[in-house]
Amino acid sequence: MSLQPTIGIETHIELNTNTKMFCRCGVVDTEDPNVSLCPTCLGLPGALPVPNKKAIESITLLALSTGCEITRKGMFHRKNYFYPDLPKNYQISQFDLPVGLNGELEIVIEESTDNIQIERVHMEEDTGKSTHSGSGRIESATSTALDFNRSGVPLVEIVTKPVITSSKQAVAYIEELRQLAIDLNISEGRLEKGNLRFDANISVAPEGSSELGTKVEIKNMNSLRSLERAIDYEIERQTKAVEDGVEIIQETRHWDENKELTSTMRSKEGSADYRYFSDPDLPNMYLSEDFINQVKSTMPQLPKKQREELVDTGLSLKQANILSKSDVWIKSLYFKVHKQTKDSEASFNWITGELQGQMRKSNIEKLPDWFSYEYLSEIIELIKNSKISFTSAKVILSELLNTDSTPNEVAEQKNLFQENDTDKISEMIVQILEENQDVVERIKTGEDKLVGFLVGLVMKQSNGSVNPGMAKELLLKKIED
Amino acid sequence: MDITNLPIRKINTLFSKKELKPSELYSQIFDNAANSEASLHAHLTLFEDENIKKAKESDSRFDSGTAESLLDGIPIAIKDNINIKGYKTTCSSKMLSNYTSPYDATVIKKLKESQTLFTGKTNLDEFAMGSSTENSAFGLTRNPWNTDFVPGGSSGGSAASVGARSSIAALGSDTGGSIRQPASFCGLVGFKPTYGTVSRYGLIAFASSLDQIGPITKTVDDSRIIFSAISGDDPRDATSIVNNQVDIPSGKSAKIGVIKELMEDGISDEAKNEVNKVTEILKSNGYEVKEISIPIIELAISIYYLIAPAECSANLARFDGVRYGLRVDGNTSYEMMENTRAEGFGKEVKRRILLGTYALSAGYYDEYYGKALQARKEMIDEFTKAFDEVDYLISPTTPTQAFKAGEKTSNPLEMYMSDLCTIPANLAGLPAISIPTGITNENLPLGVQVMSRALSDHSLLNFSEIIEKEIQFNQQPKGWV
Ligand SMILES: [Zn+2]
Repeated sequence: MSLQPTIGIETHIELNTNTKMFCRCGVVDTEDPNVSLCPTCLGLPGALPVPNKKAIESITLLALSTGCEITRKGMFHRKNYFYPDLPKNYQISQFDLPVGLNGELEIVIEESTDNIQIERVHMEEDTGKSTHSGSGRIESATSTALDFNRSGVPLVEIVTKPVITSSKQAVAYIEELRQLAIDLNISEGRLEKGNLRFDANISVAPEGSSELGTKVEIKNMNSLRSLERAIDYEIERQTKAVEDGVEIIQETRHWDENKELTSTMRSKEGSADYRYFSDPDLPNMYLSEDFINQVKSTMPQLPKKQREELVDTGLSLKQANILSKSDVWIKSLYFKVHKQTKDSEASFNWITGELQGQMRKSNIEKLPDWFSYEYLSEIIELIKNSKISFTSAKVILSELLNTDSTPNEVAEQKNLFQENDTDKISEMIVQILEENQDVVERIKTGEDKLVGFLVGLVMKQSNGSVNPGMAKELLLKKIED
Repeated sequence: MDITNLPIRKINTLFSKKELKPSELYSQIFDNAANSEASLHAHLTLFEDENIKKAKESDSRFDSGTAESLLDGIPIAIKDNINIKGYKTTCSSKMLSNYTSPYDATVIKKLKESQTLFTGKTNLDEFAMGSSTENSAFGLTRNPWNTDFVPGGSSGGSAASVGARSSIAALGSDTGGSIRQPASFCGLVGFKPTYGTVSRYGLIAFASSLDQIGPITKTVDDSRIIFSAISGDDPRDATSIVNNQVDIPSGKSAKIGVIKELMEDGISDEAKNEVNKVTEILKSNGYEVKEISIPIIELAISIYYLIAPAECSANLARFDGVRYGLRVDGNTSYEMMENTRAEGFGKEVKRRILLGTYALSAGYYDEYYGKALQARKEMIDEFTKAFDEVDYLISPTTPTQAFKAGEKTSNPLEMYMSDLCTIPANLAGLPAISIPTGITNENLPLGVQVMSRALSDHSLLNFSEIIEKEIQFNQQPKGWV
């Protein structure tokens, strides 16, 4: 019996609004606890929530960009549960009338695409942060420190349908969602800061079965590595359980990064009844046609469309996907260089390979002001016309990142132009062959490798200005003579 | 002349003419409070020191002719579920017995701008849950007309304070009659404005969709003056609305309906007689009066006791000992929260939290809370229909006169029935007022309630003033001034 995994992912995206969801406190990025608070986000008696319009615009934009149907008459609900870092002991969320329903997101794996069905997109507020001492868990902690800076920060929750079938797809989905949020400018999208946090619902069932297996939820992951490993671990665990005839319990599990395994957090029996009901402090949220059109008008080009344009320039889907997930300046640099050189492969390789590599190595975050995209085009042209070697081109690029100069100037200064004049090269070769008669003899008896040694001598004598291919060709010809 | 018995407009004239000083009035008010407090226990806190200073400031404004507000120097009592910055706000609960608010409610901010004096904080049924002010963790309040009787509730402290002339007027809050019922029991005017016209920001919520702040005063005009000062759209309260008043006739062209269902069994003859007395006077003055049936009123108490507890179960979840208020230690955070809530809340509050939690629970929501919401919608529709036929609806405010302290404490259902006539206005969000009209055989006052369509508050006050003039109630409890 072959088992097929089914995965659904719930992602919380922290929005990049200036203020919190239901009060005017700033959204702060600081380790100092409890510095951005007011009666509302601290749940003081008598304080009331007022929705943040910018956050509603952001979630509407996300819902529209994933092709969701927009709920015109939306509603906020109270999700009731007790936890010390939840100031009101209920979370304002959305229940049966979320902002967006039934969308989809295109993901890319290698050279192919998939559409991940999205069930809903809804708005909610974040909780505060607990630090338990004496134990990592509230039940056994000797004390708990609370920081409410995060309390009330707007979150968007995006829930996929149970349509994901592998950890690879799951990772590609999160990568795509993250890029979308960044392109829409609704979130910083920084995983290390917990801007995106995900829960995965995983089950296994016999292939072809119309019913899903018992689902297990893995909560609160914020790295792609954890997501991938936790899913793989859980699929393996469940598959083994089914094969051994052990019943899978519907439960919530926790991924332990260090031990690399999932363990039970709580089982279904102990799960909470959240007693959702419409929040009487917040009137129904009407999203008018005008509002939706206004939000639509701010929609930037989406990653999917970007990829299409990139593929049209001659890139493979995989290359297009890499570029679509790069910083904006990289994407635009590519388009400019490609426009001049008409060489997608070289443009892609030089930008995503050598340029980014050198910048990373030298800790350069942005291109120096003097650095024009035309320099890259020039370098690509120089190589193509055999004016410089690939090695020289790397030297030139490195120089351009540090000194205000042009590729031609650097090549000139460093004497990096290749000698393409065959007469001059022949002269040099004749001289070298005379000085190395013994090597020539050995080559004639079959030691082909030694040709490389002679090419090296030519390069050395010419200060690297000879096109090595041409040097080798001429060498062989002279030896044969 | 008893200056504490004067209406606000008259006092203001005396202040302006320099025939009376705010400090003189305040001193008389404070004497009255000092005189009655031991017998009535209307207040939980009296603010003396700062008021002497503030009254002097008011004196100089009138001296220099710079006083602009009708409420300048007017001593007003505040129900202790409304936050005043820097003062304790207890809700008459052990849970908040040491809680000092760090912010002003919007109504307090507005009254401060009007240069009002706050005489102190008044007693209430814990978290405004009750109809007699017996459910206070700090002891019951007594009726100034006869101390064997309750003053009504939950704003019983506010009503007793104005009744005993310990303040010129008071703010109360009304969720199911908590302003109107004590006003009726204490021979005063109690006005619950249209839902949303007065900001709830800073009012400690009992049931958010029903709560509304309003005045308890000696005259209709006093209520009008306070309503004008405290109403208005508030950016801190998403349910507050722009106070766009609709004009309906208040003169002889106005059509009057007597609610059939509130003149039947369960209503005392005395209460019916007061209604008949008023309608006879109106008829003799040429008004058209007819009977109007609103059948769903029979369900009002059932609907209310699902919606109000459901909302309160979430609203009161924030009192957990974590951030403020009472904390009773335990071995874990959860145990601490449990111990705090077990000890901090009184019996009636616990009863309603349990009732509400049950009504919202999975499997019961549709049967209870869901049905109540549906019935509430129907009630709004029935009222809309009634107001197609008439402009004002008249009924008793309470089924009976005030009852004796201790008489209904052991029978919550009977206690709930005393809000039968007042609850519909909260469920439908309508403005409603209780006007004192008569004295019963036991020498206790009784009132009549008038309701009108949403946002016709000013017309309702105008019409009520006509009744007030015709009835000439002009009585006050003896022995307190
Ligand atoms: Zn805040």
